Amino acid sequence: MINRHPESDLLVEYASGSLSVAPCISVTTHLQYCKQCRDSVESLGEIGGELLMTSEAAPVSEDLLDRIMQDLDSLGEEKPPVSALRQCSDGITKELPEFVQRLLPGGRLNWRRLSPSLKVAPVSVGEEQHELALHRIDAGGKAPEHDHLGKEITVVLTGSFSDEDGVYQPGDFLVRQQGDTHRPFAARNQACICLSVLEAPIRLTGIKRVLNPFLSFTPS
Amino acid sequence: MMNIKRKAEFTLAIEAENWNDCIDRVGRSQDKEAFRALFKHFSPFLKAFLIKSGGVTPENAEELVQETMIKVWRKAPSYSSSQASASTWIYTIARNTRIDWLRKQNRQNPDLLNAEDLYDERENPTPLSSLSQIRTKKLIAEHLSQLPVEQSEVLQLMYFQGQSGQQVANTLDLPLGTVKSRIRLAMNKMKLALAPLGDLGVLEGKNL
Repeated sequence: MINRHPESDLLVEYASGSLSVAPCISVTTHLQYCKQCRDSVESLGEIGGELLMTSEAAPVSEDLLDRIMQDLDSLGEEKPPVSALRQCSDGITKELPEFVQRLLPGGRLNWRRLSPSLKVAPVSVGEEQHELALHRIDAGGKAPEHDHLGKEITVVLTGSFSDEDGVYQPGDFLVRQQGDTHRPFAARNQACICLSVLEAPIRLTGIKRVLNPFLSFTPS
Repeated sequence: MMNIKRKAEFTLAIEAENWNDCIDRVGRSQDKEAFRALFKHFSPFLKAFLIKSGGVTPENAEELVQETMIKVWRKAPSYSSSQASASTWIYTIARNTRIDWLRKQNRQNPDLLNAEDLYDERENPTPLSSLSQIRTKKLIAEHLSQLPVEQSEVLQLMYFQGQSGQQVANTLDLPLGTVKSRIRLAMNKMKLALAPLGDLGVLEGKNL
């Protein structure tokens, strides 16, 4: 059975801050759609709060509070900085959920055509272990059958697609393992855009490959 | 007469409300006394928490406590006690501060997308009711300390050191499946029903 939510260990990794940028984005994206998982993440945050307060307290320097109070004074009326969120301009980008738009470098995507009905736009998030990209299948289009060289997470953003196992709607969170093959096709009435995160196996060294049984395969 | 357990719970609830109220006062009227109280109560725990993160020295930890507490001051206006208890809210800020700091150490550019952007907690349209929040918190508080050592060890590596499931498996020299099972068992003990569909799957790993 295909699960449409992140598994509990992934949610714990998320709440405990142990996910790298790209998988973290995939979970946050899913949470925009899924109240159930948002509630789970809140509860998992409570575990963090509880662990924080049951730590053996470590005394801080006596002047730390004074230093902070001085910092606060010099903050004065300064408004919190508006983080440099990016504005999007091109046509396809405007169809994306706001949260995803804010992640895009310079608000622009370079769409490349992979097959007659499939386009891909890589998104740079400054990490090397994973590749983040958006995929777009035209309405009624089919992606070529492909297998997965590493673990791949897909979150449906708009439209829907199906494969041999089912139909996937916006917010659905899918994990494909290395070696899975499938042939997705979009619904007839609307193009489907997905966010995907791929473990980038080629860049890993031999040592990491031994440590990570997940990657113990030979890239073809 | 209130029995001891009831009394402890009662005190716990009063205290929790007290800290929520302090954050509210900082947010509403930039109340420095309330902020000092928050600092005195939370900063030793924050320091202890941050020291446990890999690669953080005691000096770094104080730097991070400072950064965290300044964020507490700045973000207090957006705090809502119906969304998170004070300790959880402060934990989240400390976690995000640690993430950005560690990325900077690894020469990644956290300014491109900082942890706050990544977690996107600016608004939560459907906060938990404070009743269910209190209930969850109580269940967690009751059961967390009762977890078998091998389960709490996994959670501690994840929450304190920011280790992923795979890293925990490497640290403890266990199969990843076993680590995942321990996480699920711990969640079951704390009566946290996470992504029910995901947990229908057969438990992986038998070496529990």
